[in-house]
Amino acid sequence: MTHGVSVIGGGSWGTIVAHLIAENGHPVKLYMRDADQASELTATRRNRRYLPEFELNGRILATASLEEAARDARTLILMVPSHSLRPVARELGDHLDGSHVLIHGVKGIEPGTFKRMSQVLREETPCRKIGVLSGPNLAKEVAAGHPSSSVIASAFQEVIDAGTQLLKCKTFRVYGNDDVVGTELGGSLKNIMAIAAGLAHGLGFGDNTKALLLTRGLAEMTRLGTHHGAQPQTFAGLSGIGDLMATCFSPLSRNFQVGYRLAKGEALEAITSDLNQVAEGVRTTGTVAEHARHERIYMPITTGVYRVLFEGATPKEALKGLLDVGRNPNEQDAPRRDISIL
Amino acid sequence: MTPTPTPIPGRIFQLNQERADIVREVVAREYARKAASEGSLELAINDTAYNEIARLESSRKNPALEKWRELYRTLGKKPLAEKQAIVKRLLEEAALDIVGNFDPRVYDFATRIVPYGLSYILRPQHRGPNLTSRLAERVQATGHTETLRRLAEKGTVILVPTHSSNLDSVVIGYALFELGLPPFTYGAGKNLFTNFLLSFFMHNLGAYKVDRRLTYTLYKDVLKAYSTVLLERGYHSLFFPGGGRSRSNAVESKLKLGLVGTGLAAYINNLKAGKPNPEVYIVPATLNYNLVLEAETLIDDQLAKVGKSRYIIEDDESAQARRIWDFVRQMDKLDTSMVIQFGEPLDPFGNQVDEHGVSRDMRGRPLDLRKYVEVDGVPEHRAQRDAEYTRELGAAIVRSYRQNTVVLTTPLVAFALFELAKWHHPDLDLFQLLRLPDDTALPLRTVYEAVDRLRAKLQEIADRGDILLGQDVLRMSTEALVDKALKIFGMYHKRPLAVRVDDAVRLVDLKVLLYYHNRLTGYGLESALASTEVQV
Repeated sequence: MTHGVSVIGGGSWGTIVAHLIAENGHPVKLYMRDADQASELTATRRNRRYLPEFELNGRILATASLEEAARDARTLILMVPSHSLRPVARELGDHLDGSHVLIHGVKGIEPGTFKRMSQVLREETPCRKIGVLSGPNLAKEVAAGHPSSSVIASAFQEVIDAGTQLLKCKTFRVYGNDDVVGTELGGSLKNIMAIAAGLAHGLGFGDNTKALLLTRGLAEMTRLGTHHGAQPQTFAGLSGIGDLMATCFSPLSRNFQVGYRLAKGEALEAITSDLNQVAEGVRTTGTVAEHARHERIYMPITTGVYRVLFEGATPKEALKGLLDVGRNPNEQDAPRRDISIL
Repeated sequence: MTPTPTPIPGRIFQLNQERADIVREVVAREYARKAASEGSLELAINDTAYNEIARLESSRKNPALEKWRELYRTLGKKPLAEKQAIVKRLLEEAALDIVGNFDPRVYDFATRIVPYGLSYILRPQHRGPNLTSRLAERVQATGHTETLRRLAEKGTVILVPTHSSNLDSVVIGYALFELGLPPFTYGAGKNLFTNFLLSFFMHNLGAYKVDRRLTYTLYKDVLKAYSTVLLERGYHSLFFPGGGRSRSNAVESKLKLGLVGTGLAAYINNLKAGKPNPEVYIVPATLNYNLVLEAETLIDDQLAKVGKSRYIIEDDESAQARRIWDFVRQMDKLDTSMVIQFGEPLDPFGNQVDEHGVSRDMRGRPLDLRKYVEVDGVPEHRAQRDAEYTRELGAAIVRSYRQNTVVLTTPLVAFALFELAKWHHPDLDLFQLLRLPDDTALPLRTVYEAVDRLRAKLQEIADRGDILLGQDVLRMSTEALVDKALKIFGMYHKRPLAVRVDDAVRLVDLKVLLYYHNRLTGYGLESALASTEVQV
């Protein structure tokens, strides 16, 4: 496929994705909001803000104009924070038509509407060929050439084909599936579990606790996912358990950092302003906890993290509370079966 | 309905001249696909033989059965030329079985006598010049009717209504005539052709035969090819995508998209052929009845969960002249018997189409549809992609059905009564509830209160644009509404569904009440009653 390709969003992961595509021999445009940063990146081949130590492929051309990014592009990969996706897509939509392929790597859910990012793209653009890229992809590890893998989910096979063609290389493998709902929700919900894992780590709890959080966290994610029509087995794949493990075990993960530092007694505002990047998990926790309450979906870990983030509960209270009240209120006294996801 | 507007000419008037040509085109197209390799020829024959044997095995002495078995056994040894000949013959047989016929003289005759005939039945004592207007009062066509007319002149229209009754196609045919539209061609179950009178009209008014007993791929392919060719040639078509009458009376939420997808196939073929008016428009419509002719049989079928085995019901009310007579006679006592609501038109991708025939995205931007189907700048078919577009179209049709459902008196009151009965017996499951003796009575006051609350909730839903309220529900007092519903409940069915006894409403036939109730499920109306103290 020799069509033009653009990456929208020059954060660390967006920059790496542009780099991977360029390494595969495709010229790629990289849209960045800040014009100065864009010209600096093109000139110096470095993203000074997010990946200062990493030299980028010379086929990347950075631009601060969405119209310029859309021109000649057949495939656009959107890598902006979840709260920016709607306004960016709306503006971009004026320059797109039904032939464009859109793939997003945005891990978040819209607050208030509980819309997934592919739904936002569907609403704001004339495009139909929409997919999601998700998986255990810590940007710095991918940049360092560690063997990594990701999933592209779309109802359209040609979206999966286009994305795979652009991204796959010796160190980066791309899988495909058609469960957009499960893939998007897996990527978003795992950020909540990462905060929980960070909390546990910060409190000095060991591997037992982390394994508990991961396993039951996965059950919780799957429960919400199937409620929205996702296939349960998607959560057993790269965009589910895969992404969950990478995020929960890695000190590189921003969301893990948030949990860890909260447990160490820092205030949420201080941590988020300090991180330099968006920790999507904070916003997602608020959105999901409220949604779960409204829909009566049992999500004890999410509720615990929500209490720490927004209701002033101490991390210890919240995590211990998991064991005390960690029983589905809909059931009587019988303990839940571990394998039960519903 | 307003006075009949200027009729729009229809392609269907040429059906008979084009008939042989259409059959040839259908067969040639499908043959080209199947003859692509010896393997696909064999697959087509094998699949046909396998499914026909399975179907005919139940009727033992069928001579065709042995013929199919023989073919099945010997297929592998037959030379290529023979396989080609067999497929060609199968395609021709299928196409000739399906193809419709249109006789303008019969149409002319039908459009004169149908309104007259129905009006005559409706009110024999009022013979006179305003007969047709009396029928017009019974059947209200509302919604995007003007746009429908405009689009029928601009491109090819596929009408996709909800399906409640075998009277639907008669009523729609009449409404289209009143709107000045030419008749639409449509696929009718082959079983309906067994009725002599119905068969005569259907045979001559462009209906084509769909034999739902035939399950083999080759037959379905020919059916789709036939529909595609008709649409490409500009024949407006009518499909019931629900795949049969709604057994429960709930508005269809799962559709069979095989024929609906031929709209997209025709659009792409039109683009490829460079036709000046390639557009295909899909117009959803809801048919809303105060009384449904076959209500009792349909709900029985739903409850028996034998919907599949009795997919084709041949012995229901619509096959009984007496019941039809009763039904039509009773309809006369109502000031509005039914409402056809035409929804906003869609394109084959499920985008909304404005009154000028321009597709728009969800932000209202005009769309260049060609872009959805181009591959390297050229329009092409892509099976996986096109199936997904059609799935999205199906979702848009389902949304339209829900938003364009018109709340009439009987479903509203039936909903209140049935939900109250459930409240009254919280520990009974559905089937126990339906077996209750017919002396269950609800205080009238409670019924009024429940209907009041439902109306308030429905108004909220209507304000969001998610449902429409019928004239009675908008204007009448709750007392009058309940009164009217009870009157209708007592009119036509074998037993009155509910009757007023002093200051109470006695529930007589909960099963049929459930049927009418089901029209309003899925809107979250139960919560309007759950949070209240309307319990008895």
